[in-house]
Parts: sequence; structure tokens; C-alpha cells
Amino acid sequence: MAYEPNAESGPAGASPWRLALRRLRRNRVALAFGALLVLIVAFVLAAPLWAEQIAETGPNRGHTLEKIEVDGQQREVVNVEGRPIGPVWLGAGGKFFLGADGRLGRDEMVRLMYGGRASLFIGFSATLLTTVLATVLALLAGYYRGWVDGLISRILDTIWAFPVLLLGIALGIVLALGGLKIGPVAIPSGSIWITILIIGGVLVPYMARPLRGSVLSLREKEFVEAAVAGGASPLRVMFGELLPNLSSTIIVFFTLGIANAMLFEAALSFLGVGVQAPDTSWGLMVGEGFELINSAPLLTILPGTMIFLTVLSVNVFGDGLRDALDPRSKVLLEAHAGIAEPEGTPV
Amino acid sequence: MRKLGLILLVLCLAVCPTLGLTACGGGKEGGTLTGSYASFPDYLDPGLSYTAEGWTAMYDTYLPLLTYAHANGTDGNEVVPALAESLPKITNGGKTYTLTLHKGLEYSDGTPVKASDFKSSIERLFRLNSPGTPFYEDIVGAEEFAKTKSGGIAGIKTDDKTGKITIELVKPRGTFVNELGMLFAAVLPTGTPAKNLTADPPPATGPYMIAKVEPGRAWSYTRNPAWARSNSELVSEVPDGHFDKIKISVVSNSSTQVNEIEQDKTQWMQTPPPADSYPEIKDKYEGTQFRVEHPINLYFFWMNTSKTPFNDLKVRQAVNYAVDSRALERIYSGSLVAAHQILPEGMPGHKAFDLYPHNMAKAKELMAEANPSDRKITVWTNDEDVNKEAGVYYNGVLEELGFDTTLKVIKATVYFPPVIGSKKTPDLDTGWFDWYEDYPNPNDFFQPLLSGESIAPVFNTNFAQIDVPKLNQKIARLGQEQLGPKQEAEYAELDKEYMELAPFAPYGTNTVSTFVNSEIDLGKVIFNPTFGQDLTSFQLK
Repeated sequence: MAYEPNAESGPAGASPWRLALRRLRRNRVALAFGALLVLIVAFVLAAPLWAEQIAETGPNRGHTLEKIEVDGQQREVVNVEGRPIGPVWLGAGGKFFLGADGRLGRDEMVRLMYGGRASLFIGFSATLLTTVLATVLALLAGYYRGWVDGLISRILDTIWAFPVLLLGIALGIVLALGGLKIGPVAIPSGSIWITILIIGGVLVPYMARPLRGSVLSLREKEFVEAAVAGGASPLRVMFGELLPNLSSTIIVFFTLGIANAMLFEAALSFLGVGVQAPDTSWGLMVGEGFELINSAPLLTILPGTMIFLTVLSVNVFGDGLRDALDPRSKVLLEAHAGIAEPEGTPV
Repeated sequence: MRKLGLILLVLCLAVCPTLGLTACGGGKEGGTLTGSYASFPDYLDPGLSYTAEGWTAMYDTYLPLLTYAHANGTDGNEVVPALAESLPKITNGGKTYTLTLHKGLEYSDGTPVKASDFKSSIERLFRLNSPGTPFYEDIVGAEEFAKTKSGGIAGIKTDDKTGKITIELVKPRGTFVNELGMLFAAVLPTGTPAKNLTADPPPATGPYMIAKVEPGRAWSYTRNPAWARSNSELVSEVPDGHFDKIKISVVSNSSTQVNEIEQDKTQWMQTPPPADSYPEIKDKYEGTQFRVEHPINLYFFWMNTSKTPFNDLKVRQAVNYAVDSRALERIYSGSLVAAHQILPEGMPGHKAFDLYPHNMAKAKELMAEANPSDRKITVWTNDEDVNKEAGVYYNGVLEELGFDTTLKVIKATVYFPPVIGSKKTPDLDTGWFDWYEDYPNPNDFFQPLLSGESIAPVFNTNFAQIDVPKLNQKIARLGQEQLGPKQEAEYAELDKEYMELAPFAPYGTNTVSTFVNSEIDLGKVIFNPTFGQDLTSFQLK
């Protein structure tokens, strides 16, 4: 049955963003994982609250020689053989809820929460850096083409040629001692920003290449020609015309990129060249827990599970976001079938 | 039944040579010992190796003129003759050492051992730029030879006919007898190339020879034919060994090494069990398959006394009071034995004392009195498992004392000497280190770690940069004297004098272990404090 538009208001149509939101809201799996992601973020943001009010300790504070009262009994946080206390749940009022993290006797729950802050912050920041750099390079390469495209593409190819983990490890080792100094900007070794810069930089080609392809394709569209003919400067065309049309793609890449960046950070920290002690991240916690894998496997399982759940949530939600935001295939399909929803139609 | 027994006996005799005598429990002599290391030794070249793994691997293969008694504990500290007929005659005020080579010694390839081989072996060290050269720099002509690599070392005179070896020193050196017993001084044939021979080790003089090397993965020994033929009778202080062959493989995962021992797939692991399973293994096997060993070493935190804030004695003493060895004992899963002085137990001259029993209140009081204006410090440690945790613990202690710390965890392979041994490294304020004896003489601790003369722009071992002329002179004087009760008493006094200055916060000595499978007689295994497990002592029950 063909749809007859309302004669008074003209053809009903929602904006692409609204349509995307509707599509996303219909994707219950994506929403569920999105909610899980929000929960995880809330969990790690609650770290200072838990640390101060409940655990009464900090993420780096050791309690090797201390004893705590658990259900009326005195128990050593770390025994004479170096075995840390296991999860006491609420037996000590929330202290050492998940036990101690190893021979240093740090509160595992507090470390898990603060570690998550570091992992998520690095994942987000590194991906933001990657996205900004990749977008700029893709726009330049795709718009100017010619030797500019050639130069940028060769640089990206060079970075891409290195196995990404090995490149990250090599950079991590080199920068571990002296830090990074570029002109007036000095980043001390051990700073979390070193890890962010390494991950952000190394992952640029993985985003820039597909974006460049999109730019090359959009470059041939009439609206670009019209803008150029209208006297728009290259910057105006790139950032005023091309970039808005890339926004949904960039959003999807960004979301999925966070997962990649988090996994990369976990690998670097596990190998000892990412986040440095005494700070923590989930990857570093996996590495530290690995040394006690026989006697205290939870120390590896817990942060590993958090990485798994976060990456899964980001990926599934990102997939849902991509399905929702892909305007060309979905909107075209709907327009051809004449199925643009009328106003007021419940979603 | 008798026929059945006879059939079984014949079968056993037929099968046993194939499976190895161990499989049939065929007695205490012969067969193949299987062992594992967590990593391949730095070198299988006696002129280059400077690690416990390498020295354990070559202790029974390459013999110097002197060696260390194949005995447990402090008995193993005794220097005894090996290729030399007797201990050296020391004359000329301690500057001339005379020894005589046994007549009739051979290398594993059949060539005779000559007195001049000793000279060429020492010269080879200098040609190799071996880490062992500092021990022989006091030989007349050695410094010149080190620069020119030509003309030979004038201070070593040899006579191949009589076997006489005379070594002239520029000054008396009380540790030289110990240094003649080091693996660096192992005698190799003249003409042995001055390059790393790990892949193709030189011929041996000891009871075992290295038969095959797969660099990075494995190596194996067989009995040295020259040992049975001639050397064994001449070198009476070195035992023959019980196994015909020894096969060592590199198993990088120490948990896997433990599993292989427990499943009788391997008979010995050189590496201590991982900290995670150490308590269980100790509980389960101590006395039967597991034994704690006490190599002579010191684990400590050094403080750079040449700059703020650690140029203030009160600050250093505060740190000493603040570090709690009980916490570190737990961090080391019970393998650490607390110590708060320079000379560890087992080292001649050790006399136990503790100037700084743990007292955080006292530490904070001292910090308040000192009130250093510069509290921003960098704390260094390496990334090896437990040592890293010790560094993190120390970092926490310093924060509690009011310092604003930056912890730097450096890869173990470059920690020393490239990073903390170089004056070019900025912010060398304080950090972790361990020191294992090169030989059982207290000077081996004081000279490199605390003498002002050891401060160097590269390969620096005086991390505290402490330079007290009066104590430097005492170290130098004692270093020239042969070690005896008088010298031991003076070293004990020196220990206290340095600890009063607190350039270090020593926290303990680490133990290692001997872990064997059920076939090996643990009671017979010898652990030498300098060379580790003695391969000649392994035998089946």
C-alpha cells in the first residue's frame, strides 16, 4: 500500500539523526551493551568514592604487614609466604572486597576501579588523538590528491608496515627512560600520556586509510564541485562540506577504535611498556596477576574480564551505532520502498 | 617363575641402555642427568661469563690453576689447588705469586696443558674486553696490554718445561688468590680465539666437557676423556662426577620447570621455583627433593649521597629506619632473610648487628629534623618480578616519609650497567640493587660498592657515590692484605662504619634452592656459595 503524504504539511520526513536514533532504539542488543558500557564507566568513576568512603585506602597504598578483621577474625592481608588475602566481600565492611592484589597487599577492588579509569581514559584519549590525526590526514590526502596524497599515503603505509604491537613495544621501551621531548613540550617517562601518544599515533593508518577512501569518493560529488565553483577555499570545502558528510563514519570509527585502543593498551601494559607502576591499568593488573596465576587466579581473571566486557560492549554498541548511522544504505532503501515513517508513528 | 625372571632380566638388560639407566633404576653411576634453566647462560665461554647461571654451567668443565672446594656452605669458600700442584707461594711483600702446573694434564681434545696457556688465557681476557679484566689489572704489564693488545703481559712468566708460573703484581693484592680461582682464569689452549665461543666452546680440563650447544635452547655434557685418562689423578680436589652425560634445556616458564620435576620428566632445575608456588614446593618437598641454599649476596636500596636530599645523613638514616624487612620478606614469598648491614652472613668478616631496627616514628622524626627542601626524587628499579615489587614497596615508603617520588621501572637487561651505572643518566637519586659475591672475600663488597675509587662515569658500581678518603684507604689497605682473622675483624668494623653513614638501606639476602626429582639423592648434591650446584655431585638414589 503506498503511503500518501499529508497534503497540508508536505512529505513527512525525520532528519537523518532522528532516523538513526530510532534505528538505534530498535536495536535492543546494542542498547543493552550500551547500558553495560555506561555501568562500567559509572563503576570506574566511582573509584574515589569507594576508595575513600568504603575501602579507606588508595590504589597504590600497600598493606603487606597489616591485619584486618573479617567476620570477627583477625586475618593477615599478606601472609608470611607472600600469599595475599582473597575476596572478603563485605566481611570487613567493604575493605578488600575482592581481596589484596598480591604481595604488596593493595586493595584489589580499588585497583580495579582506578585501573579502569586509566584504561578507559587511555582508550578514549588515544582514539580521540587517532581520530583527529586520521581525519586531518584523510581530508588532506583525499582533497588534494596528487603528491600530497602520495606523500601522506606512503607515510601511513610505512607505519602500517610495522606489526603494530612490536612498534608499540619498541616505542614504549625507547621512551621509558627519557620520556618525550618535542620542542618546548616535555612528557616525562612513566607518564600516561606516553602510552596515549604511542597508541594514538600507531593506530592512525588504520583509521586514516578508510577515511581517505571516503573522502576520495565524496570529493567527486556535485556538492563539492558546487562549493568549489562558488569560491569556497580548500579549508572551507574540507571542513565545511566534506567533514560533515564523514561525521557518521567518524563516529563509528571512533567508537570501535576505543575497543582497539584499550586492547592495545592492555597488551603494552601486560608486556611492561604501557602504564608504569605504581600506577595501574587493567592490562598491567593482568600482567601482575599472572605472576600469581596458580595461587590467586582471580587477580588475572578480574581485570581480564573487565577488559573483555568493556571491549565487547564498545564493539556491540559500535556495531549498532554503525547500523543506525549508515544513512546511505538504509535511507535509500526506505525511500525506494516509500517507507519513511509518518510523524507521530510510535517507534 | 625362574624362567620368567630370567626373561625379564634379559629384557631389562636389552632395554636399559636404550632408555637410560635411570628408567630401570640401574644404579648410582652412569646414565644421563637432565636439567633445565629458565634462560640460556650469558655465555658458555669462561672468559666472558659473569652470571651465576654461566658459572654453574662451567664450574666442572673449565678449571683454573686454583678452584673453590667442592663443598657445601662456608666449606665451599676454601680456595684449593686445581690445575696447579698447590696454592701459590706469595713473596715479595705480596707482589709475587708462584705456582707450578701439574705435569701430564690434557685438554679434552688430547692436547697437553702447558704453563704458557695460563698466560695466553689471561691475555685473552683483555683481548675480549672481558668483564673479568679488572680482577687482573694489577698484573705488571696488564694495563699496557689492555690498551695495546700486543706484546703480551710482561708480569706473567711461564716455563713449559717445569710448569712454573710466576705472576708479578704492581702492588700487593689480598684478593688475588680468590681471583685465580675465578672462572675467568680458567686455562684454555694457547691460540684460543679471542671471540665469544659459546656456540663452539673450547676444550675442557674438568671432569665434563660441553659436547653440544644449541644457543639459546640447550646444551649437553659428556665425560671428558682426558679427565679419566690423566687429569683425575692429578686434580684431586675436583670430583669425577657420577653421570656419564648431562643434558640441559632452556625452559623459560618456571612453572613448567616445576611440573617437569614433579612428573619426573626432568631431574633438576637450576632456577628457583616461581614465587607463587615456592611456599607449596618448600612445604611438600623440603628435605626430600627441595633444599634452601644460601649464596652470599645482599639486596639493598642505594641512596645517592652526592646530591640532595640524600647528601643529608639524617635523611639516609630515616630511610633505613623506615624500610621494614618483614614486609620485604613477604614480598619475596619467604625466600628473603632480613639483613641490615653490608656483609651478608656467610661472608668472612660478617658480624651481625642492626643499627636501624624498623621504626617509622623514628624515621619521621629524623625527616622532620632534616627537613630537606628538595623532596622530588626519582626511584629506580628493574622489571624483574619480585625486584620490581621491592622497588614499588620502597617507593611507597619514601612517599610515606614525605618525598615526591617518580618511580622508574627499567628493563632488567639494561638496568645495570647502562642505566644506573652511567653518570649520564639523569636523576639517579635512589634505587634498588642486588650484589652477589664474585668470591668469598669482603673486599668484593666494599671495593666496588663503597670505595670512592670505584666511582666511574660508566660501569659505576658505587651507586651511592660515597667517597670517604679515610674509609677508601682502609678498603685499599685491607685489599692488599691476605685475609685472616685480623682482617676479618677490621672488615666487620668497616661494615659498621659504613652503616653509620647509611649510604644504603640493606634489607636482606636472598636464598635460592635446589629442587630435584625423586630419583636424585638430594643429600649428595653440593651447593657451592659462589658456583651454585656442583654437577659432579648429582647422583641417583
